[in-house]
Amino acid sequence: MSRSKIILVSLLLTSFLTISFVISFLSGISVIAQNNNAFSKEGEKTTTRETVVTGGHGTGYNTIRTTGDVLDSINADERTDLTIDPMKYLREFNYGRISTTDNGTTLRDFTIIAQDKNLEVSPGVFMDAWTFNGTIPGPTIRATEGDLVKIKFINNGSKPHTMHFHGIHQSQMDGVFEIIAPGGSFTYEFTAEPFGLFLYHCHMQPLEEHISKGLYGVYIVDPKTPRPPADEMVMVMNGYDNDFDGENNFYTVNGIPNYYMHHPIQIEKNKLIRVYLVNILEFDQINNFHLHANLFHFYRTGTSLTPNEYTDTVTFSQGERGILEFSYKYPGPYMFHAHKTEFAEKGWTGLFLVKEDQSESDVKAFTKGERAVYPPEISNNTFTTQTKTKDSQSTIVSYGESSQGGN
Amino acid sequence: MEFDENRNNRKTSRKKMIIIALIPLIVLSGMLVFLLGPGMSILNIGIPLPEITIEKIEFQNDKIVAFIRNTGPEGVDVAQADINDRMIPAGIEPSKTLSRLAEAKVIVPFSWIAGVPYEVGITISDGTRFSKSVEAAALAPTPNVEQASYFAIIGIYVGVIPVLIGLLWFPFIKRLSMNKYKFFLSLTAGLLVFLGIDALVESNGIVEQNIAGAFNGQVLIAMITIITFLVLLYTSEKLVERAKMKSDDNISKSNLVTYSSSPSTTKIPQKQQQQQQQQLAKPFAIAMMIAIGIGLHNFGEGLAIGAAVLLGEVALSTFLIVGFTLHNTTEGLAIVAPMAKSGGKVTIRKLVVMGLIAGIPTIIGAWIGGFLYSPIAAIIFLSIGAGAIFQVVYSITSWMSSNTSEPRKAMLSTPMIAGFTVGMAIMYATSLLIPS
Repeated sequence: MSRSKIILVSLLLTSFLTISFVISFLSGISVIAQNNNAFSKEGEKTTTRETVVTGGHGTGYNTIRTTGDVLDSINADERTDLTIDPMKYLREFNYGRISTTDNGTTLRDFTIIAQDKNLEVSPGVFMDAWTFNGTIPGPTIRATEGDLVKIKFINNGSKPHTMHFHGIHQSQMDGVFEIIAPGGSFTYEFTAEPFGLFLYHCHMQPLEEHISKGLYGVYIVDPKTPRPPADEMVMVMNGYDNDFDGENNFYTVNGIPNYYMHHPIQIEKNKLIRVYLVNILEFDQINNFHLHANLFHFYRTGTSLTPNEYTDTVTFSQGERGILEFSYKYPGPYMFHAHKTEFAEKGWTGLFLVKEDQSESDVKAFTKGERAVYPPEISNNTFTTQTKTKDSQSTIVSYGESSQGGN
Repeated sequence: MEFDENRNNRKTSRKKMIIIALIPLIVLSGMLVFLLGPGMSILNIGIPLPEITIEKIEFQNDKIVAFIRNTGPEGVDVAQADINDRMIPAGIEPSKTLSRLAEAKVIVPFSWIAGVPYEVGITISDGTRFSKSVEAAALAPTPNVEQASYFAIIGIYVGVIPVLIGLLWFPFIKRLSMNKYKFFLSLTAGLLVFLGIDALVESNGIVEQNIAGAFNGQVLIAMITIITFLVLLYTSEKLVERAKMKSDDNISKSNLVTYSSSPSTTKIPQKQQQQQQQQLAKPFAIAMMIAIGIGLHNFGEGLAIGAAVLLGEVALSTFLIVGFTLHNTTEGLAIVAPMAKSGGKVTIRKLVVMGLIAGIPTIIGAWIGGFLYSPIAAIIFLSIGAGAIFQVVYSITSWMSSNTSEPRKAMLSTPMIAGFTVGMAIMYATSLLIPS
């Protein structure tokens, strides 16, 4: 064994190791470069874009700093193609174009247009949706018991659709056998009966597909003697299956995951709140609603004026619904969410912000405190800034009357 | 003049050759421009499916870091990150927009619990979710002195010491009868074949778990293994040839006989002596090649250990270390076997150097695996190791058969077959001690 041989062999070995190091470093180097980014930028005294990201709904959760982009799955601010403006939808009731028939019955005319739309169902995540009037859920239709309801349905979508209303009506108005082809239209006509809380949805097969893609909305029939005045709101519990694997990826109340967590619903202390709560959630067997620090009177399907239950949690299967009545005794923020925690964590959460006698002090305190990480400006006109793309909605729905709540 | 003309002809023909060779390339690039140019819609068939590969997940203090790569055909926008299918706001560096094959680091603030399985999900703008699971979360090692010495100690335990222990068989092998020696030599070949196959299977596993299809991982393994085999074969042949030439020189000098150093012209009086020299040179070269091959293999082993710590895939138990130790002791045996009967002077120093060449890469592997784990680098090392090992097996068998008049018969003798079989069986048995 000569010396030169040893040298040769060790040369071979070192070259292998050198290659190995080079490869490892090449694959690792970009990471290191990224890690050093912040420092080098600081050294050059250029502006360092560093964002704090919180891993939850507020202070107390872990935070990280990043020089890159933020994947914010919770806050839907600064988005443009949202499925809906949840704050507008919450208290928006469409009463239709009102006229009176010869025999004195109130006639309510509505126009609903089915259309395909690519919507942002959760921050940064888009879905090819099917909609009634461009939003998910579709507009809330409201009539009084005994009224004649006329709905002109135009299908501008790419697939045949129908509108199936819950309630009592004739077979040909049931939206099952009259299939409306793309480009076609149909007028549904029926008497609003009985009073209660209903829903409407497309009844084309595959039903699962037509519902999970967004074709549903709320239909309210008021009793002839109105319920007591209250701050009224609609809440539709739904979900989105973006990857079409038969499981929901996101759960929401009123169309956008976590929206009301960052845009709390402002209510007044001691004022009667009435929630029209509907569950249209596809794929999952059940869904539920839980109210924090309070209990509510529950009117199942809203078909009676006597409450069935005094509770803080109510569980629905798909298509079930009910009216909730409550008022808050103490001011402050209170959560409401699905007590199925998986759904809550995938977006079905919200906040009521109870104000003391219209005072803004609590709101301000709340904004400065817990909301510091996600600082949405809590004021009444926060939401109007986001509604500019929703203009088309008003031209499609023919409002004879539109009101904010029933008080 | 004639000569000049010839040269001119050659020159022009050369130019011609280049042009002829370039013509298809020019046509090809023209076609690419045509297909990919603006306004061409021929290739817009079907919907390209996006793909994100999560290459590595690290658990750091109160955060989980995922290293992702866009391995799909087109650029994507990353929209959300989740842990166990629960979305959590996260940071992504350098950008959430990833062009094809671009990589990014997703940092999720999360209070994870050690030893618990986690799944990291990445959702892109069209709603498709990609995920990767970790069996048990463990704090990622940070490159500091403490951690580096920890890896070094593990590397010494599982790599260096066992190989050195195996070298202690040298005197034993040296005193064996020729048949028993053949048995041990082929046992070495068996051990090595097992290690080679093990390296290939291991790298295939990495390809399946961590590397996107876009990188053609399996083909890469085969390619590197074959190239390593060929390069080492060539190098070792050159090495032996040089050694032989030198010894030939020595012989000619001592005998004061002049003859050509070409291996084909051998003269009868010198043949025996020359063969003796050759016999001395070749086993050493083989032993050195084995040491290097095993070194590369152990480098892969070190990578595996380091990466396992980093990725939280295994809890490093004493059992794992004991398993590796027993397994690797046989590697020392593999190194000493070819040298034992060479009759040359084998110093302890040389033995130790070979042991270190075989063993120390474990430590380096553990450092790289633990601090800078990259699946691509891992399969490259493992494949190089496999190629090196197969080349060594080839050298051993060809060397054993070259010493007899009937190579075929010698290869199929009882001690050879028995040794090979037992070698593989020992490796399999000791590999069962290593928890995976």
